[in-house]
Formats: sequence, structure tokens, C-alpha cells
Amino acid sequence: MSRDQVQSEILAILNAVLKREATPDSSRKNLPQWDSLKHVEIIFAVEDAFGVQFSEEELFELDSVENIAASIIAKHAA
Amino acid sequence: MRHELVIEGAAFRLRPVGDDDAAFILGLRNDPELGRFLHPTQGGLAGQQAWLDSYYARPGDYYFVVERRNNGAAEGVVSIYDIKAERGEWGRWILQAKSPAAIESAWLTYRCAFETLGLESVYCRTVATNRSVVSFHDSCGIGKRRILERHFDLGGEKVDAVEHEVSHLDWPTLNARLGVLATLTARRLQRD
Repeated sequence: MSRDQVQSEILAILNAVLKREATPDSSRKNLPQWDSLKHVEIIFAVEDAFGVQFSEEELFELDSVENIAASIIAKHAA
Repeated sequence: MRHELVIEGAAFRLRPVGDDDAAFILGLRNDPELGRFLHPTQGGLAGQQAWLDSYYARPGDYYFVVERRNNGAAEGVVSIYDIKAERGEWGRWILQAKSPAAIESAWLTYRCAFETLGLESVYCRTVATNRSVVSFHDSCGIGKRRILERHFDLGGEKVDAVEHEVSHLDWPTLNARLGVLATLTARRLQRD
């Protein structure tokens, strides 16, 4: 799966959970609707979509589209 | 007030605040990031202890530590207070950065309000510019929401609050939503 495909799937999840259009630059800092409740919903959906599991420590590092994509690609490469 | 309420959840519990928690609470409130929307605690540890002494004497005020069930580690605090005519406020909600207790501690607070204290309704007032917390309450699905203009005095400046209110009639729906997410989060924490 290419980085663009991963990013596209992540954006689709964000759009569905947040009910607004996210961009590749979206993060918890610039999108206040990405609150701690929505974050949990997003991470659960990402885990299901990509067949990965994140640790508790990773949860809070996954605070942007870019970081989520990088983590998924790293897990698939491992 | 001094109380003995303990509300058990899947990964966290609420337990009464005590004297030994003064330094922990002070650390949370004086954290520059966590305390951005709070009144600073005056007088250091002695000031925090004096505040707790006044709290112990105040009826209708339930102050809790949010702690992990598996090891008793404290991760935050939350309160239910100003209870009048079966309506109360919840607040003083502060969690350590990176704590995964947000959903479960909110769920346990509502459980305490509706199932333990038997309140008719409970409301929460958030500084309007604290957008991530305002959004959290919106994301819970709370429909009753209003702006209280110039409600808080923050550093000498009057700022607006957003009030979210939940009635006991709304509780079953909110209970289901938060309960599912809290349980799924707890499973993840137990997996690690």
C-alpha cells in the first residue's frame, strides 16, 4: 500500500468521524473538533482499517494525519 | 465535603480526594499547559491544603481523584459540586497530559451524578476558548448547550463559557455512548 493510499484512507476516516473535511496537514492542534473522544474513535477505526494495533504510548503521538500515516507504514514494513 | 464515594470503572476509578493528594492537585493546576484555563492556586502547597480544608467543610461538594484500577496511579481530578434542587455542576476536571482517562472519567462522573447522587441534571461550564474541551462535550452528544457571556474571570479578564447540560432523561443514551468507548479503551490498556 502506497503512502498516498494510506493517507487517502486516513483522510476518509477523519472525514467520517469528524464530519468535516480533513486535509493532509490536519492535526489535533489545528482541528479542535479532533478532541480526545473523537481521537479514540479515529484510532479504533484506523486499527480496523489497516489491521494494526497501537500501544498506549503511541496513542498520543498519533496526533496528525502525517504521524498516523508514518506509523502505519512503519508497522506494515516491520 | 469529606465523602467515601468510590466509583469503579473498567480501567479507572474515582475515589475521594484526601490530604495526601494536595501536592498532586497543585502539580496539575500549576502545569502551564493544563492550567491555562484555570485560576492559579495561591500559596503553594499550604494554599492547596487550605483550599482542601475549606472544601471538606463545604456540603454538596464531591471532589475525586481519577486513578488507575490496576496500580492506583493518580491521573487526574474531577468534581461534582454546587448541588441545588437535584441539579449540580461537574468540573475541576484536569487530567495529566497523555492520560487516556478522559472518556472513562467523564462517564464515571455522570454515573456518580445520576446513579449514586440521584441528580435530575448535571451541567458543565467550559471556557469558550478551550475549544478541545468544548468539542469533547459536543462529541458526547449533549444537545442542551448555551453560551454564558462573560461568565468566568480569568486573569482579570471576563470570558465567555459554554454550558452543556445533561438531564437524567438523556443519561441512558449518554451512558451507552461513553460506556462503549470507555470499555473499548480499557481493553486496549489491559492489552498493553
